[in-house]
Amino acid sequence: MNVLKQHAKKQKATRSLLIVSSLLLGITVIAQALFFVSIVDQIFLKGASFESIIPDLIGLLFVLVARSALTYWNGRAGVKMASRVKEYFRSQLVYKFSKNPLQTSMEGQSGQKVSTVLDAVDEIDGYFSQYIPQVIQTSIVPVMILVVVSMEHIYSGIIMMITAPFIPLFYIIIGIMTKKKSEEQLDKMAVFSGRFLDTLQGLSTLKLFGRSRQQKELIEKSSLDFRDSTMEVLKIAFVSSLMLELISMLSIGLIALEVGLRLVLFQSITFSTAFFVLILAPEFYLFLKNLGQAFHTGRGSMGAAQKIAEALNTEDREVEWGDTSLGRMDVPPHIQLQNVHFAYDAEGFALNGIQAEIPPYSQTAIVGKSGSGKTTLLHVLAGLLPLSQGSVYVDGLARCDLKEEQWFDTVSYISQNPFLFSGTIAENIAVGKKGEVSRESVEQAAIKAGIAPLVESLENGYDTIVGEGGRGLSGGEKQRVAIARAFLKQPSIILFDEPTTGLDLQTEQILQSSIQELSQSATIITVAHRLHTIKHADQILYMDHGEIVQKGTHLELEENNPFYRAMVKTQQGGMAK
Amino acid sequence: MNELRAVMKDMMVEKRDIYLSVLFGFLAGITAVALFASSGYLISKAALLPPIYTLSLMIAFLKIMGFARAFGRYLERLYSHRATFTMLSELRVNFYEKLEPLAPTIFQKYKSGDLLSRIVGDIDRLQNFFLRVYYPPIVLGFIFLATIFFTVFYSVTVAILLLVGLFVTGFLLPAWFAYKQRRIETRLREERGSLSSEVTEFLYGFMDLKLYQQLGTKKKELEQASARYIDEQEKEGKMATYHQSMNSMVTLLVSWLVIAFGAYLVSNNELDGVFLAMLIMISLTVFENAVPMALVPAHFEDSRRAAKRLHEVVQDEPVKVEPTKSLPVNKPFSLTMKSVSFAFPGEERTSLENVDLHIPAGSKTAIIGASGSGKSTLFQLLLKFYNPTSGTILYDEISQDAYSQEDIWARTNVVQQENHYFYGSLRDNLLLAKERATDEELHEVLEQVHMQDFDLNQTILEKGDNLSGGEKQRLAIARALLKKERLWLLDEPTSSLDAVTEQAVYEHVFHQAKDDTLILISHRLTGLEYMDQIIVFDQGEIVESGSYQELLNLEGYFYRMKQIEKEVLV
Ligand SMILES: Nc1ncnc2c1ncn2[C@@H]1O[C@H](COP(=O)(O)OP(=O)(O)OP(=O)(O)O)[C@@H](O)[C@H]1O
Ligand SMILES: Nc1ncnc2c1ncn2[C@@H]1O[C@H](COP(=O)(O)OP(=O)(O)OP(=O)(O)O)[C@@H](O)[C@H]1O
Ligand SMILES: [Mg+2]
Ligand SMILES: [Mg+2]
Repeated sequence: MNVLKQHAKKQKATRSLLIVSSLLLGITVIAQALFFVSIVDQIFLKGASFESIIPDLIGLLFVLVARSALTYWNGRAGVKMASRVKEYFRSQLVYKFSKNPLQTSMEGQSGQKVSTVLDAVDEIDGYFSQYIPQVIQTSIVPVMILVVVSMEHIYSGIIMMITAPFIPLFYIIIGIMTKKKSEEQLDKMAVFSGRFLDTLQGLSTLKLFGRSRQQKELIEKSSLDFRDSTMEVLKIAFVSSLMLELISMLSIGLIALEVGLRLVLFQSITFSTAFFVLILAPEFYLFLKNLGQAFHTGRGSMGAAQKIAEALNTEDREVEWGDTSLGRMDVPPHIQLQNVHFAYDAEGFALNGIQAEIPPYSQTAIVGKSGSGKTTLLHVLAGLLPLSQGSVYVDGLARCDLKEEQWFDTVSYISQNPFLFSGTIAENIAVGKKGEVSRESVEQAAIKAGIAPLVESLENGYDTIVGEGGRGLSGGEKQRVAIARAFLKQPSIILFDEPTTGLDLQTEQILQSSIQELSQSATIITVAHRLHTIKHADQILYMDHGEIVQKGTHLELEENNPFYRAMVKTQQGGMAK
Repeated sequence: MNELRAVMKDMMVEKRDIYLSVLFGFLAGITAVALFASSGYLISKAALLPPIYTLSLMIAFLKIMGFARAFGRYLERLYSHRATFTMLSELRVNFYEKLEPLAPTIFQKYKSGDLLSRIVGDIDRLQNFFLRVYYPPIVLGFIFLATIFFTVFYSVTVAILLLVGLFVTGFLLPAWFAYKQRRIETRLREERGSLSSEVTEFLYGFMDLKLYQQLGTKKKELEQASARYIDEQEKEGKMATYHQSMNSMVTLLVSWLVIAFGAYLVSNNELDGVFLAMLIMISLTVFENAVPMALVPAHFEDSRRAAKRLHEVVQDEPVKVEPTKSLPVNKPFSLTMKSVSFAFPGEERTSLENVDLHIPAGSKTAIIGASGSGKSTLFQLLLKFYNPTSGTILYDEISQDAYSQEDIWARTNVVQQENHYFYGSLRDNLLLAKERATDEELHEVLEQVHMQDFDLNQTILEKGDNLSGGEKQRLAIARALLKKERLWLLDEPTSSLDAVTEQAVYEHVFHQAKDDTLILISHRLTGLEYMDQIIVFDQGEIVESGSYQELLNLEGYFYRMKQIEKEVLV
């Protein structure tokens, strides 16, 4: 039930070592008390000479050093254990994110996810670096003290036995609250991160609308929320240590009273026994108290683990893949869509009954009004979205039986708003191809994409850093860098989502001839609004409201489809006044 | 150090809480010493069979000290943490405030994931500066002074030992640790920042990574970044335990010296034996407070780095010029550029070169030109996101310097080439343009951009990820329509729209902008015949300008483009 516990169980070696060192620690604690008592007793009551206590002093010195060394060792073991577990959880999260289907990856705020990967995982640290070592110590050392004290003076032992259970009882009650509160705290932290990152991305927009003041207030609010939830968690911690302190104070007082009375009134015990008990009693409660604090930390970690588990255990509709291989890789496959359905969610937009055939080396254009589902269809074709009905056949094989890797090796997809990574231009183009990519092929791709003249005019050429933290590029330049990726890959299926929006006619011409060249060896499917991109297509799919309402060539559509005709007309005719 | 000074200044706002923390910290510490000292004394005294009332008095004292200590500790923690976290939350807001004016230039220097890490992680780290560096040494000093003062009455030797111990554990060892700390470079903060930016990029670039099957590679990189970060944490953790154990060993050694010297003194009758146990207890307890001093240098160094990372982002505050003029409200105005040249900061190449243009109030201008020729840059300058390297920009014949950025932004309807949508409802995203717009108004603009089917409560995902490309552009236009200012700057507002929708949308825009000044960047040449003026850019320079017919007659760039278009459109 508790994931962290399972991980702690797995760390057998460290645990056994911690047990051994805790036993040793217990011995040093008791020995330290013994030496102290013996020295004081001899000097103070027995009037012994200084020489006679020298062995005791040396023994004490040894014990003190040993105690420090053991404390160090315990702490270190905890730190190491924490590192291993944090690494594990973080890579689990990253693995999960990398397997997410496209849709899931869009949901929620990125900043919140970043916060889970960083803050929540860091929060786990305490469970292993503090809680576990402390649990082991506290289940050993106080027991040893209790046994020794009871042997020396049973009544003190009894008082300890009666009062001690109050302490764990108390932190169990507190702990339940802590876990909930610290989950809340992490939530607040995530909300803050999410909001901040989103704001950061849209800062120019906010400024243009004169809204950065209001956004500041929002940021302030989530920052204060985070403070308040932190204080809530801390207050519980403080109250609990106050209570623990009081309980142990009362208990120590009780023991002191009892010992004192016996010593003075009944004279039934010796000074050395009394002093011994009095030195060990605070140690006994100290270990219990420390556990209380560690318990608090541990509970916080459990809250974090809960958050991570939630992030890991979301159910997603994934795209299905199999492990059949395509027969031939050198020729573009024949693609067939049969009665394909897809919906983003229960209501809202859906693709319906998509039927299409895309022969090898053909050029297909997808046209339609904005919002009619062109990009969605391209996503489906690319294998980014799960079908809810129907299938896609590739060379007669159902695509869900194909190997995912092989499929993606054959396609290139230039999306409507490609992302530029923070890195050099060369790296950004090289993203297009797996494995080692030579500089030469990158440059070739850049030439074909019509971006080479710009790159060469830059001081650092292909090594210019772009993306976040780098040089800015114009809209069309970004697009061309992304297009270069496709030219680098030389796939057998190319999906273009309006590759030439935002490009002037001249640049577009360069690009069109490069695409023409690509089409010698690949099937091309393009979403396009511009007539001249569409006109030469072998087939045009006209989409409306998530359906393909008509298929045919330019001439056929122009003849039969009034909407298509209107589209062509407007492009030729011009803009309204 | 400079960086921390700024933090310290912010801290002094919570003065009262700081004093209270010191006060209660001292109380908690000194009562603990008193408590254990008296218990040591009590037991020794008891061995000498004193009258019972002394005993009860002592025990009563013990109890009071116990309570005082528990409450003192509680209050100290409460006040110190309250002050600290209030400060941290203020620091976050301050950081954002200073960051805001630096956009959009800031993103050419820093990645957003890194900035996130700074505002969350680095500021969080500063808590240690107050909680462990700033006031604990003061508390420690007071406790020791009081204790040593008390001890002098019993044994000067022990008092000296305590003083030496304080010097070693409170100063010498920490100084040595500090020296060591300085030499090994800790990269914890930087590693956290780089992990954070890697994760952010991974999430933002997910689709491209997936398509190009680079998720695996990126995942590996992420794991390496995580491993590096954890390594640093581990190093730090081990170092902390080491320093703490070292310091605690030294404190135990001091106690050992106290017992050894004490025993020696007692055996030579220079000290009454009844105080021996008490002195031991004092030494054991008082040094408990000194152990955390071992971590002061590490926390100090860490806070310093954190403060530095925060400071370096926001240090170059833009020079604020007091506006002397404000733009006319509800009246179109003219724009003029006089030999304006501009290069982006840190760039050698100019993006605009000697640009002269005049846009009369209420006129419609189209700007065309190759990709990368400086069209969007022109808008950035008109919006005063950047200042020209040379030349002047005039609004209504008055220099741009006279107006504040906020004023200019408030008076323009802008559609950028890329527009941002925030995670939230469609309504919220529209209200950005007009805070108090009614739902009817919103429905009206949605209808104008052909998005009447959308529910105002619909959730918009981050960056508008669940909108189609054309829908995003239309929403941006809807915002501009809502804002109803008299200057329009439209940067390829319909590049992803089909021609039919485009035309319908333009109809509304041009209708509303009938009397307004409007500048449109466009790659489509059809329809430009209705514009008053067309300006053609090439490589940052204006190569042609004039009316549609004038440009055709010129048979230059525009004419050639028109030819190309004719070829492809027939
Ligand atoms: N932030 C920046 N830092 C440095 N150079 C930049 C930056 N933004 C743009 N540039 C450069 O300035 C030049 C003009 O860019 P601008 O964005 O104005 O082009 P544009 O005409 O709008 O092109 P497009 O049609 O592709 O949007 C380009 O060469 C571009 O590389
Ligand atoms: N991730 C998503 N979740 C939910 N709905 C979405 C998502 N992406 C797109 N939609 C909706 O699906 C519809 C079709 O979108 P799509 O992007 O396929 O349109 P499009 O034909 O490409 O339009 P455009 O020409 O404007 O790019 C739109 O109404 C859009 O709002
Ligand atoms: Mg689209
Ligand atoms: Mg531009």
